[in-house]
Amino acid sequence: MDGDDDRVFKALADPTRRHLLDRLFERDGRTLHELVSELEMTRFGVMKHLRVLEEAGLVVSRRRGRHKLHFLNPVPIRLIHDRWIDKYTEARVAAILELKDELEKEA
Amino acid sequence: MVATETQTTQVYQVYIKATPERIWQAITDPEMIAKFFFGTRPDAPLTVVGSRVRSWSPDRSKLWTDNEVLEADPPRRLVHTWRSLYDEDLAGEQESRVTWEIEPQEGGYSKLTLVHDRLEGAPKTAASVSGGWMLIISGLKTLLETGEPLTRFER
Repeated sequence: MDGDDDRVFKALADPTRRHLLDRLFERDGRTLHELVSELEMTRFGVMKHLRVLEEAGLVVSRRRGRHKLHFLNPVPIRLIHDRWIDKYTEARVAAILELKDELEKEA
Repeated sequence: MVATETQTTQVYQVYIKATPERIWQAITDPEMIAKFFFGTRPDAPLTVVGSRVRSWSPDRSKLWTDNEVLEADPPRRLVHTWRSLYDEDLAGEQESRVTWEIEPQEGGYSKLTLVHDRLEGAPKTAASVSGGWMLIISGLKTLLETGEPLTRFER
């Protein structure tokens, strides 16, 4: 949706939130309690950061019984990659290959 | 994606500017699936509960998956089993489960959530499919929003 990329970039622009994503990358499907116990931060602080990550779609929470589990959702990063990285790196790679062809022609 | 521990549940979520009905069609109709699922074309629609649906490589030389439809509630929820038959190491692992959930949102959008779980007995499958689901989900979004498949599937 409009503004999706903004939310993802803003969410990723904070070291604590990137740290939270790394913890979920190591082990997915964690409760708030588990995440709080691993970070030197208050429960409220972790909740606040998780909310920003959820609003950006980078974290998806799902209920399992009495627990709310948090999962890393890699799709928004993939979409950013498709939109902002593929485009530029493809041109770069093409330019390098052209240069290689030119240089080898001269050799 | 390689994680340090075996993930037993993987979750992928995306917002797509399409009705739930269009997304339902895209994830159950073989012709549509062929456009975003690495070129594989299932031999039947994924709409009959209890049926087994087989998918082949694009040249039909190799069986890729043979999955049973467990639940089909159009246009909201599709559940099927999963086995990765495209690789011998993965084919020997236990069956896992894939759930597709479609929820209508404001502004003509739908929220699509894919949950791949029961991966306890399939650690290699878990490691293998994560990058694939990401490409499939982003390819599905591109297909429905632009009408074009992602070019990487055509290479």
